[in-house]
Amino acid sequence: MRFTLVDRILELEPGSKLVAIKNLSMAEEYLGDHFPGFPVMPGVLMLEAMTQAGAWLVRASEDFAHSTVVLKEARNVKYANFVEPGQTLKVTVSVVDQGPRLTQLKAQGTVDGSIAVAARLILERSNLAESDPSRAIADDVVKMKMRELFALLYQPPAPASGAEMAATP
Amino acid sequence: MPTKEEVYEKIRTALVDALGVDEDEVTPDATLIGDLGAESIDFLDIVFRLEKAFDIKVPRAELFPEDILTSPQYVKDGKVTPEGVAKLRERMPFADLSKFEKNPVVKDFANQLTVRDMCRYVESKVALTG
Amino acid sequence: MRWIWIDKFIEFDSGRRARAIKNISLAEEHLHDHFPGYPVMPNSLIAEGLAQTGGLLVGEVNQFQEKVILAKIPKAVFHFPALPGDQLIYTATIEQLDAAGGRVAATSHVGERLQAEMEIVFAHLRDADRTKRLFEPKNFVFTMKLLGVFDVGRSRDGTRIQEPPGLASIKAAPGHDCSR
Repeated sequence: MRFTLVDRILELEPGSKLVAIKNLSMAEEYLGDHFPGFPVMPGVLMLEAMTQAGAWLVRASEDFAHSTVVLKEARNVKYANFVEPGQTLKVTVSVVDQGPRLTQLKAQGTVDGSIAVAARLILERSNLAESDPSRAIADDVVKMKMRELFALLYQPPAPASGAEMAATP
Repeated sequence: MPTKEEVYEKIRTALVDALGVDEDEVTPDATLIGDLGAESIDFLDIVFRLEKAFDIKVPRAELFPEDILTSPQYVKDGKVTPEGVAKLRERMPFADLSKFEKNPVVKDFANQLTVRDMCRYVESKVALTG
Repeated sequence: MRWIWIDKFIEFDSGRRARAIKNISLAEEHLHDHFPGYPVMPNSLIAEGLAQTGGLLVGEVNQFQEKVILAKIPKAVFHFPALPGDQLIYTATIEQLDAAGGRVAATSHVGERLQAEMEIVFAHLRDADRTKRLFEPKNFVFTMKLLGVFDVGRSRDGTRIQEPPGLASIKAAPGHDCSR
């Protein structure tokens, strides 16, 4: 499967909050197994959607200073409702605490306004070069790819000035 | 047999672990749902932790009397009948239902359960098993 | 792709503990998105492997007549990244199990090193209609055969877990047909 669990970033307040969506589609092959005859989004992919939303918030807030942002800890991940193909999972993540390595976040996923999943997450960021300077090149590759993907996912709102036309390509 | 203090501390740990709240949020008067944010799936987690911590069996219906609260025999127009309240008292002698009795709206019941109620419940269970 | 995040059971003590292997291979597509230039096994998929190990263990206790779903992860901690070429050993132990659901403690190891640990709460699905649609026991039994449970499985009394009669002729549900 393509492991991108966020389809669009709707809101971004660096250092604070991010809102994104994940569309669930029958075209996603793993749904054939989960479950046969009754396709629903696997709980861990709901967790991954929240993790990736959190990771984008971390990356965007520090201008992609670290190549690697991973889930270090998840707490109180609670599943309230299924997400079915044709539905959209709206994910909101907000920063609770930020340290030099770890970011603590509150995360929530809703479908049509109802909570489907909630969790507290701790994400850890790092560069490969920290443990092996020769891997700085790999860091650069990852960062570049992440910037590229981010540009697809997020269109910043047009500037407030009404005099100019919004420069959306 | 554990002391009241020990019971309270173990319950506090169970609630902190299950609900992700801070220790100081867990006070005797705190309600599980309203103050501590417990949701229905948390009840299962909490029950498991209590069973493990105190080596007791916690039949769900003793802490969460859904059968009474959803029975047409005991509930009329969204309120628990006096018969139903008596049943609740019988099922849950450890709980302080005096506030609920004044306006026994079914939906409010879940919000009644306090940490203190839980302590008294565990104390009664532990006393039974010595 | 298949939504099976474990490869093979190496231990299956009915009602108590199970251990399974997950090989991490560059042949797995998702690693090339996570991340491009630095493939690392997503921790959420490790969580799934642990949940699947625990879920099959819990389900088998009642021959999948009681349907369990992942309801809550009270805690999951990941200590270091798992990489292509690593072989993860997942261990799931039933802590508690009753009519309402079950609690499982699970760990992931690379060799002797503890890579992750997770607590899982499974709940029994109460909606009878949906339950029937969601969980045909034969789907789980088929998966168990695939993953070698009947090769290593032990019942409570130490005897081998028997393959259900006629397993060989069970037609798997759509999506489970390996030849597709």
